[in-house]
Amino acid sequence: MWGDRHMLEQFILVIATLVGAPLAGGLLFGIDRKITARLQGRYGPPVIQPFYDFFKLLGKEHIAVSRLQFIWIYGYLVFMVVSLIFLVLKSDILLLVFLLGFAGVSLVLGGFSTKSPYAHFGANRELLQIMAYEPVLLLFAIGIYAQNGSFLISEIFKQDKPLLFSLWPLFLAVLYVLTIKMRKSPFDIATSHHGHQEIVKGVTTEYSGPYFALFHLAEWYEIVLLLGIISLFWANPLWVGILIALVAFLLELLVDNIAARMTARWMVRLSWSIGLLLGVINIAYIYLTKGVS
Amino acid sequence: MMAIAILLPVAAGLLILAIRNYYARNVVVVATSIALIVNSVLLSINGPFTYTPDGVNWGLFITILDYAILLFYLYIGFTLRNWLVVIFAFTQLIPLAYFEFIMKAHLELSPAFVVDHLSLVMTLIISIIGSLICIFALRYMYDHEHHAHLTKSRQSRFLFWLVLFLGAMNGLVFANNLFWLYFFWEVTTLCCYQLISHDRTQEAINNAARALWMNATGGTAFIFAIIYLYATQGGSSALSVQTLIGGGMQASVVLLPVALLCYTGFTKAAQMPFQSWLLGAMVAPTPVSALLHSSTMVKAGVYLVLRLAPAFAGTYLSIAIAVTGAFTFFATSALAVSQTTGKRVLAYSTIANLGLIIACAGINTPLSVAAAILLIIFHAISKGLLFLCAGTIEHQIWSREIEDMEGLAAKAPLTTLITAVGILSMFLPPFGMLLGKWIALEAAYMVPLAAIFFVLASTLTIVFWTKWLGRLLQVLPKLGWPMEKLSLSYSAPLWTLLVGIFAVGIGVGPIYQNFLLDATHNVVSGNQIFVIGWNNLVLTSASFIQRDILGIFPIWPLYLILVVALLLPLLLIGLKPTELRPVYLCGEQVGGTDTDEWSAEADQKTKFLLGGYYFQSSLGEKKVNPWANTIAIVLLVIMIGCGVIVIC
Repeated sequence: MWGDRHMLEQFILVIATLVGAPLAGGLLFGIDRKITARLQGRYGPPVIQPFYDFFKLLGKEHIAVSRLQFIWIYGYLVFMVVSLIFLVLKSDILLLVFLLGFAGVSLVLGGFSTKSPYAHFGANRELLQIMAYEPVLLLFAIGIYAQNGSFLISEIFKQDKPLLFSLWPLFLAVLYVLTIKMRKSPFDIATSHHGHQEIVKGVTTEYSGPYFALFHLAEWYEIVLLLGIISLFWANPLWVGILIALVAFLLELLVDNIAARMTARWMVRLSWSIGLLLGVINIAYIYLTKGVS
Repeated sequence: MMAIAILLPVAAGLLILAIRNYYARNVVVVATSIALIVNSVLLSINGPFTYTPDGVNWGLFITILDYAILLFYLYIGFTLRNWLVVIFAFTQLIPLAYFEFIMKAHLELSPAFVVDHLSLVMTLIISIIGSLICIFALRYMYDHEHHAHLTKSRQSRFLFWLVLFLGAMNGLVFANNLFWLYFFWEVTTLCCYQLISHDRTQEAINNAARALWMNATGGTAFIFAIIYLYATQGGSSALSVQTLIGGGMQASVVLLPVALLCYTGFTKAAQMPFQSWLLGAMVAPTPVSALLHSSTMVKAGVYLVLRLAPAFAGTYLSIAIAVTGAFTFFATSALAVSQTTGKRVLAYSTIANLGLIIACAGINTPLSVAAAILLIIFHAISKGLLFLCAGTIEHQIWSREIEDMEGLAAKAPLTTLITAVGILSMFLPPFGMLLGKWIALEAAYMVPLAAIFFVLASTLTIVFWTKWLGRLLQVLPKLGWPMEKLSLSYSAPLWTLLVGIFAVGIGVGPIYQNFLLDATHNVVSGNQIFVIGWNNLVLTSASFIQRDILGIFPIWPLYLILVVALLLPLLLIGLKPTELRPVYLCGEQVGGTDTDEWSAEADQKTKFLLGGYYFQSSLGEKKVNPWANTIAIVLLVIMIGCGVIVIC
């Protein structure tokens, strides 16, 4: 497992991810904007508009309201990238969820480290979002252990039977998390892609120019990571899983355009009741039928 | 050397009590601390041993002291007219007298002390972290009395109990004779009472009395367990901890006393429904809280449960303990979210983590026991640091409220930095606490209900720490934060603990393999954690034939990533004054970047205020406590019931 050849392969894989993931992520956001525009009866920007925006932001003036902001936006980006690397190296899924948690906490602290009312609202709501999705993701990791007897993602790829068959309730719960993480209606609570928020740009209000570009970059990595996690439900063959993830992505766009934004309280309640129930029933069923492996 | 660990603090305490000079006293405390630290390290290098003191009739001596302590409880109970204290003093005095006069007079055992790796881990924590807190207390108590305008200094008395505590704790973790263990147990309860009531306010005395009677119920369970063991097993040898966990006795007979002893551990570890005594202990000066929460008192509770784990392995009692601990972990994490006082958040977080440790002991696999030991160590370091930070902050802003700590980053950057690292080390990777929690979660599927509580509690943990840290960091767009000056007595323990978090965290692989693995083997046989390659912690499944990998935690790479993600931006990225902008206020800003005023109605200049979320309506104590306490009591009854059913 720790051979030189293996190390080299892994190194190449990491580099490919670092370069490839933002390209794919940016493109996905471009498609998002295009489809959303069409659904709303607009023509929409070109598919590579997110990249134009990104480079434009990079060229803007460095301005900030607090030195502490930089630290947390870098923390957000770096831990998001590390989580993705954990996924492509097929490492520990539970640790991945914790690392993703660090990324989330960094974004919240970025909002908190300014005396800005809008950023504060956003940060508080972002924290509520973490409260809503974190237990579902942790249960998802435990569900994978219950099924496979290991937390390693590499173990998922060794199984012939897709996880979707045994973990479909958790699949539904993770889809719900995807809506929260993608900041789509009804959960575009902490910040939104559309300009209809009463809290301006929420948790990212005080980021501008290059630092805001970093936020976008982190989001691109994030969308690839999330769709990657979804594709784990059908890891053999992986293309089916990726297809499922893309369908889930399109489904999110549809939901985004037909749903209205809900309150944070409603989101947490829904997640802690139905989301958790799905996970708990799923794990209890596996435990009762399979026992401790 | 063992005698030094127990008796040196006693002797030093008496000396401190005699010295009235501030500087001379400091020298004694610092010298004692250094001696204790060196002694504990030497003990650990020499390894496990057993010891039985001879010469003096120690059994008689300890019995007399036992009575003295219990009679003192009675005296406290009567003077305060606190009948609960009186009742639980009697419930200990009468059985003790019964045991002493009818069953067996001042029982002696050989060996009286068994020091194994688990005891050594504990003594290292007690001696090193406890000593650092004593050093911190020197200056803290000076400032404390200065602020309170006391005419007559009571620092000697305070330091006496503080130092004595360390000796009693060392005795507690070394003792093999259950009767002696009971004695040290009572000494820690007594020290705890004296320290909580130190400030002599009505609130302090009431809370100290509550701590006393709650722990005295635990003492009562302890003495009944002793009597039951002696009566059913017939003979002094039954009262040896090593015999109890050695599996030599019939499990069916042992289970009830073990369940009672676990109850005792629960009271000391302030598990629900006993959490109120530890919360009440917050009225004491902060070094007391730091000591109670990190290295002493509550750790005695989890130590006892962990120590007894082999005696209940594979029984329903074990599962009951896992679920009870996990429930406390969950309920107190929820309560921590609603707290507005920094020290109460710390207190609930302590109780939560102790619940996690106890749940790990209940899950009772090599993996979960390793997690429990790692959590004890890392929690002691991080929580010790956080309490000292809370004390330092308190002496800068003279408040314990989280809302008053708003923008501390600009007022006291150094304290904030240390506090921030302390907070991050409690709940995020790659720090040790998260490592322990990660191992615990990977082991938790054995008891799925515990696993679900773990998941919910971990989430709530993220919420309350992030919330608090966020308040510290909230600053106005201004540059040039003046660095505050900290007295050496403050900064030396702070920096030592901060370095400790990283040193133990980064070196956890070799430390586990060379030292903690042996401590794990004192509780459970087998090993499920291996250190492989580039300092990866690899967890394997419980089956010994085929070692399937459960999970991998790359330690050094993750610390490197932490440096890249947070430290480098902090050090390298500067901000010029010209790059500063005011925050967005819809263009209604008044003045420049460093004002927080806006043009309100009729262009009135109005300062805007921001506050944190505390979820009082959904997670407040009034809302949560009734049902949480009820569930906790039911779980406790089930736990003890598991011991009773076996007999019937």
